[in-house]
Amino acid sequence: MVEKFPYGKAPFWLLAIALASVAGRWLVMGHGDARADLLIVANSPSHFEAYKNAVPRFERKHGVHVEVQFAHWTALQSRLESAMLAGADVPDLVELLEGSLGFFTRGPREDVGLLDLADRVEAEGFDRRLVASRLSSWSTVDGRIYALPNDVHPVMLAYRRDLVAQLGIDVTKLDTWDAFVEAGRRVTRDVDGDGVVDHYMIDLPYDGNWALTSLLLQHGGQLFDRAGNIAFNSDITTEVFAWYLRQTHGPRKIAYDAGWGQALGKAMVDGLVVFYWAPDWRSRFFADEVPSLAGHMALMPLPAWDKGGRRTSVWGGTGLMISRRTPRPDLAWELAKFLYFDPTEMGKRFEATNIIPVLRDAWTMPELDAPNPYYSNEPIGRMYADLAPDVPPSYVSPLTAVAGTELDEAFSRCVSYYERFGEEGLTDAIHRELSRAEAYVQRLAERANWMARAP
Amino acid sequence: MSSPLSAPSAAPASRPRPSRAPAGVRVRPQERGWAPYAFLSPYLLLTSVFFFVPFLDAIGLAFFETNGPRTRVFVGLANFHFLFTDSTFYRALWNTTVFACASVFVQLPLSMGLAILLNSSKGRLRGMLRLVLFSPNLVGQIFVGILFSTLFTPRYGLINRAFHALFGWGLEVWWLSNPWLVMPALVLTSLWVWVGFNMVYFLAALQGVDRSLEEAARIDGASEWQVFRFVTLPSMRHVTVFVVVTSVIGSYQLFELPLALLHSTEGAGPENSGLTLITYLNNVAFHLGDLGLGSAVGWIAALIIFFVSMIQIRVSRVLED
Repeated sequence: MVEKFPYGKAPFWLLAIALASVAGRWLVMGHGDARADLLIVANSPSHFEAYKNAVPRFERKHGVHVEVQFAHWTALQSRLESAMLAGADVPDLVELLEGSLGFFTRGPREDVGLLDLADRVEAEGFDRRLVASRLSSWSTVDGRIYALPNDVHPVMLAYRRDLVAQLGIDVTKLDTWDAFVEAGRRVTRDVDGDGVVDHYMIDLPYDGNWALTSLLLQHGGQLFDRAGNIAFNSDITTEVFAWYLRQTHGPRKIAYDAGWGQALGKAMVDGLVVFYWAPDWRSRFFADEVPSLAGHMALMPLPAWDKGGRRTSVWGGTGLMISRRTPRPDLAWELAKFLYFDPTEMGKRFEATNIIPVLRDAWTMPELDAPNPYYSNEPIGRMYADLAPDVPPSYVSPLTAVAGTELDEAFSRCVSYYERFGEEGLTDAIHRELSRAEAYVQRLAERANWMARAP
Repeated sequence: MSSPLSAPSAAPASRPRPSRAPAGVRVRPQERGWAPYAFLSPYLLLTSVFFFVPFLDAIGLAFFETNGPRTRVFVGLANFHFLFTDSTFYRALWNTTVFACASVFVQLPLSMGLAILLNSSKGRLRGMLRLVLFSPNLVGQIFVGILFSTLFTPRYGLINRAFHALFGWGLEVWWLSNPWLVMPALVLTSLWVWVGFNMVYFLAALQGVDRSLEEAARIDGASEWQVFRFVTLPSMRHVTVFVVVTSVIGSYQLFELPLALLHSTEGAGPENSGLTLITYLNNVAFHLGDLGLGSAVGWIAALIIFFVSMIQIRVSRVLED
């Protein structure tokens, strides 16, 4: 048979392999598991583990089969974007980061591929029970609710308790950023005279990025207002920019950009930096990545911009969205509530992640009061929960990512200016750069607005 | 060399190959039978679905403004007008061109130099060095980006430490946060990946140069540089043109490396100092969701690559003449 096949043995075997592969795949698919009643995709390993452990209880209660999958948040977002653009299958429930919501809610409302949860949220009273700043900002677009928020993510400062004592810093007096900077100027210095600074007061990225936005939100600024208008070209932003420039660049800086991963861990262990930006999720990251500092770390509220002002901010956020194409929207809603708001699950999840729940009723749970050995036995859950009502809103728009990029670019140009000219004309330079960034985002917004009006 | 599409399978090696038509003689389709088409069909099917259909769709899409997954409106040349009045687009074009120039004028001379060095070394050492220098290319660009983002870490990174140890400078240099240093960091990283790869081409070309011509030139009194300039280099011309063209095309398609190296800024870097054309395309199409604008960028990138390649090939022909 092989000899009679036209064009020789190699093509014959290639064809045979191809046919066998197709047949094998068909057989495997034929005997594969039936599709689950619901498919949920989590965007972090800790969420995935928590859901995997919790789902059997839900399955028993409802007599259904739920499949839990994990995909890294960047991969998950791009896959979901592609699937929605192509009209391919999407999961019934999916967890996404706050910045992603804008992309999935672009265009006319009938094009949005996410289930509008507003009526369900109101009917069950979640609009009163959840932290208002979370439900009314990034999970809501154009008055509709497309995501159930998972967290509050209040920010504190984590610090090396032993180092703070050694350097003579009294954290109780660091109640404003002015006091913090003053202490920072004393601390940031070359101790051993080798020409290299040995201690910096705080870890802040030199290119602005997340810390700049977080400080802006703490000070009452926004990238976009509630109605989706550009809001970052303001006096508040100018003030935050100028402050951030002085602390991260120039001869009197007190901040060091410790980065991420191993470099950050090394900086912490070496005592290169004393204070670190610590939303609840990152407090766990420190404990997992730098276990050698257990018992040496502690937390304090952020210094306020003004005496008596807000002592926290926000960094990050995850929400659960339900696909509009799910054949079981009611069951998906039940699963969402179970995973996010079931009292048993919330306690376990806090213990595993340090992330406090967004449901205010849950702040009475005893797990929040448990002493945390890594943070010198401080009840960090209670500390975060006490700050949670003050967490500022962070409104999103389809242009949030662009605005963030433009703000970073504006900051980078201001850095160049500051390093060249110092304080002279700095405020005007910042205004100029913010206006340029605003004009660029506005230009894109006008394209999007024009499209939204299109038939 | 026998062709599987032209040689009958059962024919002994000594028999003539009837289906291989003499030059200029056309073989009628019915004589070839269905088999070639059957074997080509998977490729043609996949290419049609995943290349021609998106390619044709992208032609049309460049003239539409898209918003959300299903809404699009015809806007004529508005997307192109937007791009040609967008400073970010020009920045991306400039960065990509600078990177392409660095590829041609820094990377390729280094590859050539290494190839010459290796060509003059002997046996096993040459094989081992070839493998060592080529091996970075076996690693995915995303991995390379992540690796170098660690190596460029201020104070603790290997590159910063090496600069500090050698020159007493560079311990706290923020390669990836300083707009002036982002492009040098990208070029340095790409050198590690591509120098060895292109070196293999040059080495193969060097080994194919006719030694008798070089010897003749030396006997005629030519210096080593003159031998290289007037004998060796012209003999490698076709390979050199190929490497230059593929390097420029690769440079204009640069995407993964800056994306991984500058991941905190979505591949753009401070002041967009690392933004490339394809990263810009990715940002407008998949972060902004404006597929029409993304298609327009894709078209401009494709046209640039086409014209630059044509110019290079034409220049090489003129030099040849």
